[in-house]
Amino acid sequence: MQSKRLGWILLAPTLVILFFFGVLPFIYVVYVSFHQWNPFAVNPEMVFNGADNFRQIVFDPAFLKSVGVTVMFVIFAVLSELILGYVLAQAFMRDFPGKAIFRTIHTLPLIMAPIIVGSVWKLMTTPSIGIIPHFLDEWFGITMNIGTSAPAAFATVVIMDIWHWTPLVTLTLIAALVSLPPDPFEQAQIDGANKRQIFWHITLPMIAPAVVATVFIRLMDALRTVDEVWMLTGGGPGSATRFVGVHIFKEVFPKTNYGYGSTISVIVLYLTIVACWLLYVTMLAPRSKKD
Amino acid sequence: MSDQHEAPLASALHEEESAPPIPENSAGFLPIETNWFDRLFISVVIWIALSLFWFRFLEPAGLSIWISNAIALVVAFIIIRKG
Repeated sequence: MQSKRLGWILLAPTLVILFFFGVLPFIYVVYVSFHQWNPFAVNPEMVFNGADNFRQIVFDPAFLKSVGVTVMFVIFAVLSELILGYVLAQAFMRDFPGKAIFRTIHTLPLIMAPIIVGSVWKLMTTPSIGIIPHFLDEWFGITMNIGTSAPAAFATVVIMDIWHWTPLVTLTLIAALVSLPPDPFEQAQIDGANKRQIFWHITLPMIAPAVVATVFIRLMDALRTVDEVWMLTGGGPGSATRFVGVHIFKEVFPKTNYGYGSTISVIVLYLTIVACWLLYVTMLAPRSKKD
Repeated sequence: MSDQHEAPLASALHEEESAPPIPENSAGFLPIETNWFDRLFISVVIWIALSLFWFRFLEPAGLSIWISNAIALVVAFIIIRKG
């Protein structure tokens, strides 16, 4: 009983902070999503309009396009980060000259603010002064202009995200790999299992919880990417990199359409929760035993 | 001698007895083990998806959103009771 009370006392500060900074804003956003509200209009009052914002959202081509672009971005970026992160984690499990320096350099992108990452990549990809278009042109004869080419802009945003967030995946996978017991691997080697069999039947099932947790974090982050993309492309050219986060930003700040912006936020939160839940169900959830 | 060996086992048994009971998970028609909160969550997810689908495809044809809500309520009841 004593330990139970102590547990609640120790949890209390976190719960209070979570309530005021997590639960209350969420309830407020849901409340606003059922209103028409432009605080800078002639009539700045909130006007309850039922589910009209939700009716509008399913017919909004800009929003539907932004969801499609975001899903493509998430698939390309998160999958690449996972594969690359695992390869790097396996590399860091071995000893090689300069490993400590390489690991430090490899982790540096993580400590950079997204807005700085966006501006650095903007400098690197600007056609007249950027290093990337310069060498692409000099070595391969390719003209790169992310201001006019939609595929180039999209690919650059994906590569920037991979560059920024792969170290996080590497670090979490290193932690998972280090904690694996050596016995199953030794037994599998004695039984004559090859590297591919060991990976699919031992390594992957044992690190699955860490992989799912990492994908959760990256999925949630990638679905609400704004600052890097805003800095690099501003959502353009056209709507090629107008992800849902950028779409919400454009709806809420330049248009000051707070009600509709909140509705989009609620739907994006819904999609994020459903995506994470489906991932959990397919990878980790215990199957029901009916027989 | 035997008392010394049984003492830790007895204390472990006592701890096990005093531990809070684990909520029983159901093995209904859903393919995963769920508790009542999981089933409530699944019902809310289905309710929102059905509402959005209704707004997009069926409401323009004249079917009220309240029909969707009624269906979602029935589905939720079935999932929570038998899921």
